[in-house]
Amino acid sequence: MEIFDNLALGFSVAFTFQNILYCFLGVLLGTLIGVLPGLGPVPTIAMLLPITFGLPPVAALIMLSGIYYGAQYGGSTTAILINLPGESSSVVTAIDGYQMARQGRAGTALATAALGSFFAGSVATFLLAVFAPPLADLALKFGPPEYFALMVLGLIASVALASGSVIKALAMVVLGILLGLSGQDVYTGTPRFTFDVIELADGIEFVALAMGVFGIGEIVRNLEDEHTRTVMVQKVKGLLLSKDDFKRIIGPVLRGTFLGSFLGILPGGGAILSSFASYSIEKKISRHPERFGKGAIEGVAGPESANNAGAQTSFIPMLTLGIPSNPVMALMIGALIIQGIVPGPNVVNEQPNLFWGIVASMWIGNFLLVVLNLPLIGIWVRLLTVPYHILFPLIVGFCCIGVYSVNNNEFDVFTMALFGLIGYVLVKLQCEPAPLLLGFIIGPMLEEYLRRAMLISRGDPLVFVSRPISATMLGLAALALLVVLLPSVRKKREDAFKE
Amino acid sequence: MRNLKSAAIALAALALSVAPFAAAKAQDFPSRNVTMIVPFAAGGPTDTVARLIAESMSRSLGQQVVVENVGGAGGTRGAGQVAKAAPDGYTILLHHIGQATSATLYRKLPYNVLTDFEEVGLVTDVPMTMIGKSTLEPKDAAALIAYVKEKKDGVIYGNAGVGSASHLCGMLFMSAIGTPMTTVPYQGTGPAMNDLVGGQIDLMCDQTTNTTGQIKAGKVKAYGVTTPNRLKSLPDIPTFKEGALPGFEIAVWHGLYAPKGTPKVTIDKLNAALLTALQDPKVIARFADLGTEPVALERATPEVHEKFLAAEVAKWKPVIEQAGVFAD
Amino acid sequence: MVRFVKNPRNVATGLMLIAVAAFFVWQGSDLPMGRAIRMGPGYFPMILAGLLALLGLIVLLTGLTRPSDDEGSIALRHWPWRALALVTLAVVLFGFGIRPLGLGPSMWLAVFVSSLASSRFNILTGLLSACIMVAFSWAVFIKGLGLPLPMLGPWLGGY
Repeated sequence: MEIFDNLALGFSVAFTFQNILYCFLGVLLGTLIGVLPGLGPVPTIAMLLPITFGLPPVAALIMLSGIYYGAQYGGSTTAILINLPGESSSVVTAIDGYQMARQGRAGTALATAALGSFFAGSVATFLLAVFAPPLADLALKFGPPEYFALMVLGLIASVALASGSVIKALAMVVLGILLGLSGQDVYTGTPRFTFDVIELADGIEFVALAMGVFGIGEIVRNLEDEHTRTVMVQKVKGLLLSKDDFKRIIGPVLRGTFLGSFLGILPGGGAILSSFASYSIEKKISRHPERFGKGAIEGVAGPESANNAGAQTSFIPMLTLGIPSNPVMALMIGALIIQGIVPGPNVVNEQPNLFWGIVASMWIGNFLLVVLNLPLIGIWVRLLTVPYHILFPLIVGFCCIGVYSVNNNEFDVFTMALFGLIGYVLVKLQCEPAPLLLGFIIGPMLEEYLRRAMLISRGDPLVFVSRPISATMLGLAALALLVVLLPSVRKKREDAFKE
Repeated sequence: MRNLKSAAIALAALALSVAPFAAAKAQDFPSRNVTMIVPFAAGGPTDTVARLIAESMSRSLGQQVVVENVGGAGGTRGAGQVAKAAPDGYTILLHHIGQATSATLYRKLPYNVLTDFEEVGLVTDVPMTMIGKSTLEPKDAAALIAYVKEKKDGVIYGNAGVGSASHLCGMLFMSAIGTPMTTVPYQGTGPAMNDLVGGQIDLMCDQTTNTTGQIKAGKVKAYGVTTPNRLKSLPDIPTFKEGALPGFEIAVWHGLYAPKGTPKVTIDKLNAALLTALQDPKVIARFADLGTEPVALERATPEVHEKFLAAEVAKWKPVIEQAGVFAD
Repeated sequence: MVRFVKNPRNVATGLMLIAVAAFFVWQGSDLPMGRAIRMGPGYFPMILAGLLALLGLIVLLTGLTRPSDDEGSIALRHWPWRALALVTLAVVLFGFGIRPLGLGPSMWLAVFVSSLASSRFNILTGLLSACIMVAFSWAVFIKGLGLPLPMLGPWLGGY
């Protein structure tokens, strides 16, 4: 079969000493920057670009890819340990992962994330190898109406992220969307809610918002009752997963992998949705939805698998079509150009050793990551035994430099300070920040796709229901909204009867 | 806020009095790393040009030229940062055609494009191509123009956002044929190209860096090149100048700038390093991969660059004002 | 006394949401609305602000009518002013210091000032962790990752 020849070619390329070395360097660096809050793969890859001048193209791309998926891997570490999601994909992991850490189960949470990611990464790479061209064609079928429907579905599902009041969660989603709209309007260039501040012309920086409401807000929250309780449980329970844990994560990992692999191929927002979607699904089908938000292992396993699967399949549009699906892929295309390779649909045929070499290296990279990360868990967990009054100033320091390094802009540091205050107020009012962040991420895309769909259809709203994919997703969204609202209506009625 | 600021200023005064280092003399330039600010995200065509040039300039200046991406606000944030930087040559700017169009696109620009910079020299012109979805009816540029004139805003033109090269090219095209199309902006070239290949939109005009791969694979139809001569990388694609629309000409030119007031000696040193870079065989080879080449050496001078910038500002002013699109 | 306010937390939340919605309406009132077919930049924000106000109203009303079933672990009236102020100040100082002073001094300030926020603050560990963090960030961010950041800023003789 052709696929075996191709994979044989890929492994013959990836299994040279030099390429394994670069793959290792890439995933190691990726893990490191993933662990450091705020520091993402984009500035790291940008800084490494000059070094790749001197490398052969395959080695350069293998290393840069390793940084990308390695960072996805490492990103969950800080989310779990100290409630600091440095990237949109690890926001969801922070919800239950951090609660697990507070219960002394940080080791289990980290191991779950590592194993789930490894499984998801391997499966998604397999899908990438076998189905890349048809999957890429499927992604092209997604026009503005389909994306709009997908975003609506995602937003409705996001209400499930909150464990408290549904109405408050909805309000947080809407507030998040409004914050997300800040910046230049894509269609007219008109600045909205920028208060004539040039730094706001491109909107509020996500990392500043996320580290503010999650990281800084949580620190103040912990300092509030420093006297009355130990912030972190000092005794750390078992590092690895019990048999029962394994049983509980198999389903979420499988579903998360499937969901992430599919959503990952959609350029512009697909991959971001996958971890949120996985969390909502796990909570909906769980027999104990009340555990979610309080340290449910399923809430770590599903989203982490989804996010890592998405990270692998997001290479599909870049490798098969030459179209970048996110800023990291745009950088990879830059790296290809510097190497003298014209990115585009012909790369697969003209440079088979490049394409298959990268695919094969992803297996090696995922394997290296799990080997690298499992032993590290012990060290990370020990970090939590550092007394909190010593640990938290260091976290503040990491937050500062991390958020500054995103755009080399001190304005983002001030934004983080402001959202730290806002995040604390939200905690006081028992409004959960996760739906706010999702609204912030999806909101601008929702508006963009809605307006684009209306422009392209010349103002015909039927475009959303006359196209099958979009109609199906909007139907699902309506159903999800009903499911979300019904219990609260029923509960209200019960309460009314009680009185 | 004000208290903090004055406290910071007091702290600064203190720091300055302690600092034992006097400002380095211009003759010694460069005695440390030079920061080249690219006002766009890393990985884009402009960033690629900057990194190729910076690598070569580092060798001839004997100090590292470090590329720093200060993206945002259509390139005006990075340019503004250089306009306000110390005029010592250690902070320089590599910007493209947007430097000229921002003068009109942004009515509240916090700096003056023409008077707040010292031009160092032009770097390169990246040509653009007009491409359509693979199922679009017209076979060539002349048929395309007739088609657009007939369908008018029934034709959907996609671009990579307000102020992007594809936005400028679209405006110029519409003004040249005197017919507006429905313009659909995207956040960057990637998603726009996705919708063009997927057949959701009809037309787009973008830099060869973004379009060559798609054209060669037959995923899109190429209607014409926007520069006077055909391209070595796409020899079969005619230019608009060959007959279809002779007045329609646009290239994404790149230039190097220093803040106003940078000493002449320093500008000359930077210019010399730029000229060396433009003759570097490695730079030339990589530029060729991008579908471009270094500008003729006589254009890579501060004097020509200054005049050219002024001419470009004047050229785009009426086009932008006629389209009525502003970025603030 | 019959309490008019059954759940002060929800009343406060509702009022805050309505105030935020009003703020967005006020700030967005200059933006052109357009029509559904060709929406202007003001269309979407205005709809959302209305929705936010509506949700705020619902939360406010439930706060007035229904007692809370969960008091939560943190009291609404008690505010940790010291921690809020010092942690925020630490971050703001870093922001002001990073360009003129460089990474070293601003990192030192951020870590030291925020360590003051703890009631278990100890001058020795505070000074020590600030210095360790400076050394660590120099090694990792400047030497290791090569961030374009000077250790000492222009005010201290660096660049």
